[in-house]
Amino acid sequence: MTECDVLIIGGGPAGLAAGIEVGKAGLKALIVDEGVRFGGQLVKQTHKFFGNEEFYASVRGFEIAEKLLEELRAMDNVELMPESTVIGVYEDGVPILHRPSDTTTLLRPKRLVIATGASEKFLQFENNDLPGVYGAGAVQTLMNQFGIMPGENVLMIGSGNIGLIVSYQLMQAGVNVKAIIEASNRVGGYQVHANKVRRLGVPILLRHTIIRALGKEEVQGAVIAQVNDSWEVIPGTEREFVVDTICVAVGLSPSAELVSQAGGRLQFISELGGYVPVRDENMRTTASNVFVAGDVSGIEEATTAMVEGRIAGLSCVKDLKGITDEKRLKKFQEQLRAFRSGPTSSKVRKGLEKLNLSFPEKLPRETAVEPSYEAYKGKLRPIIECSEAIPCNPCETSCPFGAITIGENINNVPVIDYEKCTGCGICATKCPGLAIFMMQEKEEKGTATVGIPYEFLPIPSKGDQVYALRKDGSVAGVAKVTKVVKAPNSTTVVYIEVPLEEAREVRHIKVVEMKPEAIVCRCEELTVEDVEKAIEEGYTDFEELRRRLRIAMGPCGGRTCRLNALMILSRKTGTPIEKLDPGTFRPPVIPTTFKAVSKSAKGGESSEG
Amino acid sequence: MRAEASVVIIGGGIIGTAIAFYLCKKGMKDVVLVEKSYLSSGSTGRCGGGIRQQWSERMNVRLAMRSVKLFERFEEEIGMDIEYYQGGYLLLAYTDEEVELFHKNVAMQQEEGLDVRLLSKEETKEKFPFMNLEGLKLATFCPTDGHANPHLATMAYAKAAEKMGAMILTHTEVTDIDVQSGQIKGVLTTKGYIKTSVVVNAAGGFSREVGLMAGVELPTESYRHQIFVTEPLEHILDPLVISFVNNFYIRQTKSGNFIMGQGDKDEPPSHKHDPSWKFLTEMTEKMPHFFPFLKEVRVLRHWAGLYNMSPDAQPIIDKSDKLSDFYFAIGFSGHGFMLAPAVGEAMADWIIYGSPEEVDISNLKMERFSKGVSREKNVV
Repeated sequence: MTECDVLIIGGGPAGLAAGIEVGKAGLKALIVDEGVRFGGQLVKQTHKFFGNEEFYASVRGFEIAEKLLEELRAMDNVELMPESTVIGVYEDGVPILHRPSDTTTLLRPKRLVIATGASEKFLQFENNDLPGVYGAGAVQTLMNQFGIMPGENVLMIGSGNIGLIVSYQLMQAGVNVKAIIEASNRVGGYQVHANKVRRLGVPILLRHTIIRALGKEEVQGAVIAQVNDSWEVIPGTEREFVVDTICVAVGLSPSAELVSQAGGRLQFISELGGYVPVRDENMRTTASNVFVAGDVSGIEEATTAMVEGRIAGLSCVKDLKGITDEKRLKKFQEQLRAFRSGPTSSKVRKGLEKLNLSFPEKLPRETAVEPSYEAYKGKLRPIIECSEAIPCNPCETSCPFGAITIGENINNVPVIDYEKCTGCGICATKCPGLAIFMMQEKEEKGTATVGIPYEFLPIPSKGDQVYALRKDGSVAGVAKVTKVVKAPNSTTVVYIEVPLEEAREVRHIKVVEMKPEAIVCRCEELTVEDVEKAIEEGYTDFEELRRRLRIAMGPCGGRTCRLNALMILSRKTGTPIEKLDPGTFRPPVIPTTFKAVSKSAKGGESSEG
Repeated sequence: MRAEASVVIIGGGIIGTAIAFYLCKKGMKDVVLVEKSYLSSGSTGRCGGGIRQQWSERMNVRLAMRSVKLFERFEEEIGMDIEYYQGGYLLLAYTDEEVELFHKNVAMQQEEGLDVRLLSKEETKEKFPFMNLEGLKLATFCPTDGHANPHLATMAYAKAAEKMGAMILTHTEVTDIDVQSGQIKGVLTTKGYIKTSVVVNAAGGFSREVGLMAGVELPTESYRHQIFVTEPLEHILDPLVISFVNNFYIRQTKSGNFIMGQGDKDEPPSHKHDPSWKFLTEMTEKMPHFFPFLKEVRVLRHWAGLYNMSPDAQPIIDKSDKLSDFYFAIGFSGHGFMLAPAVGEAMADWIIYGSPEEVDISNLKMERFSKGVSREKNVV
């Protein structure tokens, strides 16, 4: 194609959305993207999206990309050109470099939609050029797109949504995130995302910064320190982390160079991430034939990028055909206003104001939903732990019984009417923040069933023993899985039985894989199979197993193996773990030399010699 | 649960399970053993596991020699490896009194047919170069002494008895013994009543308490004895080593850990199971003198068990003269594990045939206490 009506640069959510609107109107469009696959950042997003179900809320990012592409592939008048880069915008044409063939093609499109997204900001610290220092986007590309683990132990810099989400995804992939550090005094991202990583036991250290990476050939550690109110390092607070990967997620800046080349004026607006194109509410830049959409016009997120893409596409159509679906255009503009009306968009609103684009703040209902534990005790029901006003409503739209209400303002926090709720649990499978838990107290048994939205592998089966983790990631104990609800394309909800007093705290599980050859006791090198065999032989008390196998008799004193052995015992005998005797915890708690003990005798009262 | 049994054994340690095993082996199938916790949860599972024949009292030597015969064929007879290892026992003499006693003991033990010899300090040094033998006058060594894993032995007896028809009730406590006009009628447990006319008290540390349930006063008292184990080291020590005047015993387990303990003459009678720091400081100060390499070795675990002491530190194997068919195998004074096979066999014979067949245990009856006792001296 050398002739096209609209050239769309960038095949991410904004570009694809723009392409659909142009294509629907029958105009010829070409979408150019650098990547092998279209979808931009979406293809790396394994988490469910927030927002409105009309804009794919509750759908995982890579699935959104698939849906958009499916729609585009059905259109003959839209062409997709992967692995290609627009290398400049000239007065006499737009050259596209096709990288695999190393050839260029010059295009003279009637309209240009620039949806080039953003690039990652980088942080200046000592040794930040060591292999092992990555941007969060690179980590996501490696891990989620190509299935390569970036390392084994990661320090995450930045607690914005990207830092939080990538941390969660690293943990899902089996990579250990040692800590997330954040220079400011509050977590940057959504509370629900922060809660997700906290219950995995990942600490979020506020008012901390990285000083240097350690290592000669590659990252072997990191030195971090506390900062004061002026973000200066407080001497003496340095501490070291042993990590092989440092992931930097300190924000993005718009990639607006092509807009500038096309004659569009840029303006520095820190709230929007840096130099952004000046544009109107129809996404038109100061160069009249050039439109923008998505992060290039200001750092936000994929949902607004898609809406902006639609607006830019419809605006091109209006330009070229003189007419467009005004109702649809208005609807998208209305959507944007709704999304940006909440407290989490205050920064974006402030930035847009500097471009004379007014997005009014609408105060959401921000009454935190206090889970009514008391009034409906004993009823199987969702506990919604979502008290921050964020633009998201799948709980409301997914409930078949109309029990959950967000209301007009999508930033409202949900309110649940337990009278209408049937305890079906669909909301828990849908919630993109994994912030809805199912609960049913069983007072007579002194236990409670807790349904946990679970996005890790392996998924446990009914009857399995798993670790129950509290909101802060600490282990509350071992729990039995009573039910597993797998919903297609949604979140699996794992129901476990926990002691009643832990029901409000337990929010995650850890599945211990019991492969027969897996080591249960490292000191004595005992496998799952060894333990199971002994149980089958009739050693059904922990102390009997201990004496039979020497489990928990090694230098660790059972720190590693005791709970694991008890879990196997519980599984094999069908005795709930809380009914099993965990055995004696004998001193000394750590191995202690004769020398160290006998020395104390000198000062003590009771030596014979 | 069985509501009726020919014999009810109280206690799931090595003695109770050995008796159950031999009763079944000799043809009695409806045996019930009642254990309040898990098998070997009392003294058996807490003991050092030594098996020795070098005793100062002839009866003990005979019983121990019979036991060793049975230990030697344990795996073949019962079908389980119990880590039995005949690495010998090395007894150390440091005083003239001990030298005299050791000479006398060895002569008596040799009369009984035991392979035991005196070792000079030089001979001892040659055999055990890693020991500090400063002040040693003499040692005795019996190569057929050794050790085994007490828990495994208990489990082996119990499993074998179960296979032959015995019922082993763990986590079941005997709360009373039903006695009517000098006859045993049954045993009341936390899981119900078992009708029986024969009861064996093999309750170890709680032998006196169980006796009282049947209205029988038994002259036993329990004392806490402590023990600890080190991290595993390369195997260097074959025998179990004892010094009576220095008050210690030490052995190396199959997995390489050193186990050691001492007695405490100031310890009052009790059922206490908690270890004390005092014990650990005393032992860690004392032991590196004899085994210098221990200084840098780390202590892993420390626990305590009960010695069920009789007035002469020798077991009481008898039946009540006041109450028909109330047997007891108690008061083992810290060496029940090593005697268990012979005692189990003798007790089963007594119950079934009316008298022990393989070994003479007549001197272990209660009546000896009325004659004045000769105390077993080789006790730590």
